[in-house]
Amino acid sequence: MNPGLPGLQRWMLDALLAPRRTEGIDARLTASPMLDARARLAIYQRSYILRLVKCLAEQFPALRHALGAPLFDDFAREYLAACPSDAYTLYELGRRFPGWLEESRPDRELPPDEREDWIDFMVDLARYERELFRLFDAPGHEGGVWPTVDVPDARLVLQPCFALAQYRYPVAWYYHEVRHERSPAFPPAHPSYVAIARRDYLTATFPLNPVHFQFLCALHKLGSVDEALQAVALEVERPLAEVRRSWDDAVRGPWIQAGFFVEREGEI
Amino acid sequence: MPDLGLGVGLRNCHFGHILAESPAVDWFEAISENFMDSGGRPGHVLRQIAERYPVVLHGVSMSIGSTAPLDRGYLARLKRLADEVRAVWVSDHLCWTGIAGINSHDLLPLPLNDETLRHIVARVREVQNILERPLILENPSTYIGFRDTTIAEPDFLRALADETGCGLLLDVNNVYVSCFNAGTDPVAYLDAFPFERVVQMHLAGHQNCGTHLIDTHDGPVCDAVWELFRLAWQRSGGASTLLEWDGDVPPFEQVHDEVLRARGFMEGAFDRSRLTGSAPAREASISTPVDFLVPGVMESNRLEAG
Repeated sequence: MNPGLPGLQRWMLDALLAPRRTEGIDARLTASPMLDARARLAIYQRSYILRLVKCLAEQFPALRHALGAPLFDDFAREYLAACPSDAYTLYELGRRFPGWLEESRPDRELPPDEREDWIDFMVDLARYERELFRLFDAPGHEGGVWPTVDVPDARLVLQPCFALAQYRYPVAWYYHEVRHERSPAFPPAHPSYVAIARRDYLTATFPLNPVHFQFLCALHKLGSVDEALQAVALEVERPLAEVRRSWDDAVRGPWIQAGFFVEREGEI
Repeated sequence: MPDLGLGVGLRNCHFGHILAESPAVDWFEAISENFMDSGGRPGHVLRQIAERYPVVLHGVSMSIGSTAPLDRGYLARLKRLADEVRAVWVSDHLCWTGIAGINSHDLLPLPLNDETLRHIVARVREVQNILERPLILENPSTYIGFRDTTIAEPDFLRALADETGCGLLLDVNNVYVSCFNAGTDPVAYLDAFPFERVVQMHLAGHQNCGTHLIDTHDGPVCDAVWELFRLAWQRSGGASTLLEWDGDVPPFEQVHDEVLRARGFMEGAFDRSRLTGSAPAREASISTPVDFLVPGVMESNRLEAG
């Protein structure tokens, strides 16, 4: 291998990641009839950051709306400097963005109740948008047979392309308002619980009440409807029969129809 | 390699039209990385399209020129996808995209010299062994020149193909863009190009920024590139040709009509005087557009009533 090639590639990558610190350009690059070497390199430097900021903007459209384009782009640039892409696909570019927003918040040393509300909102909104993006192309159950209401509880398990999340703000509502170009205002804090499921390649978000959220979390953890019902009955201090009746009468059918479940394979 | 005719780059915004209308396009080229890990609709659609049309895979992240080790996991996924869709061939670019675990997502140029050639020859052989098929490599659009370059790009590609048996994808627009940016003659480039190794050609639009051209894939092919294509078509003996349109992508029919314009440039005498002039200047153009790398994922969501 050319012993100079590793050094040259390190130099050029550094020139993309930190363009202001680039030195030694004329020693490595030639001028063209119309541009000097620095201006030619600048084409790559400019495209690198514009391309990736644009990519993040497409992955976090509601967050960009909430922050405004200039501030979002500033955050995106800082994020890309701290967390340059580590994957061969741009699908992963925003994977660490919500975590980076949380870790880099200026009030992170303060107790939670003294922190800035709007930062909590931004972090939650970023988490929600990332989850939508992930589920778009995650392995799912399309092509398989979906259970009907006749399938017994013992055979129901959560489908593979499914997520549960809780937020401090109604971020799913906010996101869809933005997508419908309704320019929503910054919403007041209000806990929200959602299930996100993909069926027939369409991802839908289902707002949940806290008990339903608890039940689905228990089902995700325990893998059994019966055990999840028992866990929730204990948690909410209600008779199991009452919880089971609620499940049978009001919840089970709509959730099966919505595609929350697939049928467990093999023996029960 | 078979002559596939005139094809179109497969883009997510056209999925519905292609599946519903089965347009009379000869073949499709899919961006490998958009489908290699797809458990969702993109993979599902590609499998359906592969049932109806010849499909070629075109990658942007193999990083054949990188000094970082080859990503064997990437190559294994690429082979699996190529086998699954019965890819007629698999292509990528003569470039590097990153090192040290960082991907720039750009098609970065290389200094072309003997030592770089040896480095890439070894990697192409390794890739071909893993993929169990020849690799097809494309000339990238370039905006810089290296002092360490001692071999002209056509000669480098000829030597690479001779050493490894790889095929070549001649991007005619990239020839025009790179030669303009370097102040060199695109006809001289084609005079030196090893056409006997050309498996496929690319066409695309670019932007003229005055002092340089940028390969933006966001508009129709300009007259100068069509004229250069006439020369390349005749010298290649009519290689499979594909149009890339990745930014501001119009309806499918318009993209298809654009590639069909190639029929008007297959015959007739090449006229060098038509090589001047290109698309109008536009500010803030981005090379290697991302639209085709990040399809409209965020469009397919709905919020149920609470």
